[in-house]
Amino acid sequence: MNTAIIAIGAGIAVLSAIGAGVGIGIATGKATEAIARQPEADGKINKALILGCALAEATAIYGFVIAFLIIIMLK
Amino acid sequence: MGNLSEIINEELQVETVFTIPIFGGIPVSESVVVTWIIMAVLILGAFLLTRNMKLHNISKRQAFAEWIVTTLSDMVEGMVGEKGRAFIPYLVTVMLYVGVANVCGIFGFKAPTKDLNVTAALALMSILLVEGAGIYYLGIKRWLHKFTEPIAVVTPINVLEVFTRPLSLCMRLFGNVIGAFVIMELIKTISRNILLPAVFCLYFDLFDGLLQAYVFVFLTSLYIREEIE
Repeated sequence: MNTAIIAIGAGIAVLSAIGAGVGIGIATGKATEAIARQPEADGKINKALILGCALAEATAIYGFVIAFLIIIMLK
Repeated sequence: MGNLSEIINEELQVETVFTIPIFGGIPVSESVVVTWIIMAVLILGAFLLTRNMKLHNISKRQAFAEWIVTTLSDMVEGMVGEKGRAFIPYLVTVMLYVGVANVCGIFGFKAPTKDLNVTAALALMSILLVEGAGIYYLGIKRWLHKFTEPIAVVTPINVLEVFTRPLSLCMRLFGNVIGAFVIMELIKTISRNILLPAVFCLYFDLFDGLLQAYVFVFLTSLYIREEIE
């Protein structure tokens, strides 16, 4: 019973990945549009995209770290 | 499944390899030893590449060394800006170290960045450099005044940022490396042939590891740029 609850908690923590997935998807879509409109500015767009993706991805990573700690600490 | 959690637990533990018998014993953990190996490899590589350099009629080896240096420092200069040129050697060094540290899992070493202490130390170095650069370039008065910009109400948030920035740098690197490692172990457990882990290894170990080194340096140089301008 206890392990099941811990597993559910870790699963809920990993749900933060949804936000990161949606965010990176939107960012990449917009970046593709921007490059299609202005192909010569792709260097700057790429840089902004990587920064945005790194920041958006961080939320997913935090969720993963929390899930990891839940499993390791509460086991 | 039980086997997997054992492997992960074993990899997470920071083992003490040996103890230096001075000052009552300094424990040396595995990540420090792997860091020494990485240092030795990088120093040896740099030494071999830069031996008997010439001004004219350069050898292929010297051309390669020059290509590495100019590419990396141009890349970092684009991030840190004209004013932050003094920080390029440090940032490129961190990039090389983190890149090699993330990738060295392929060669059977335990990646040092999988140890939270290593990423915490890197993040701490970054934030000290950022704040130190702010004090050096702006002077204490303007550095302190920068906390109240753009309006005085945001001062607590600006002060909080000094602590959240290294925390997020540290957790991002650690979480990415450990996440890639856990996923690789899962794939290795479920797949019967060798092809599937090999393909995913390219993404998780090589691409993600190098990307994280880039992102770490990118964010650090962004903070520096923001601080000194």
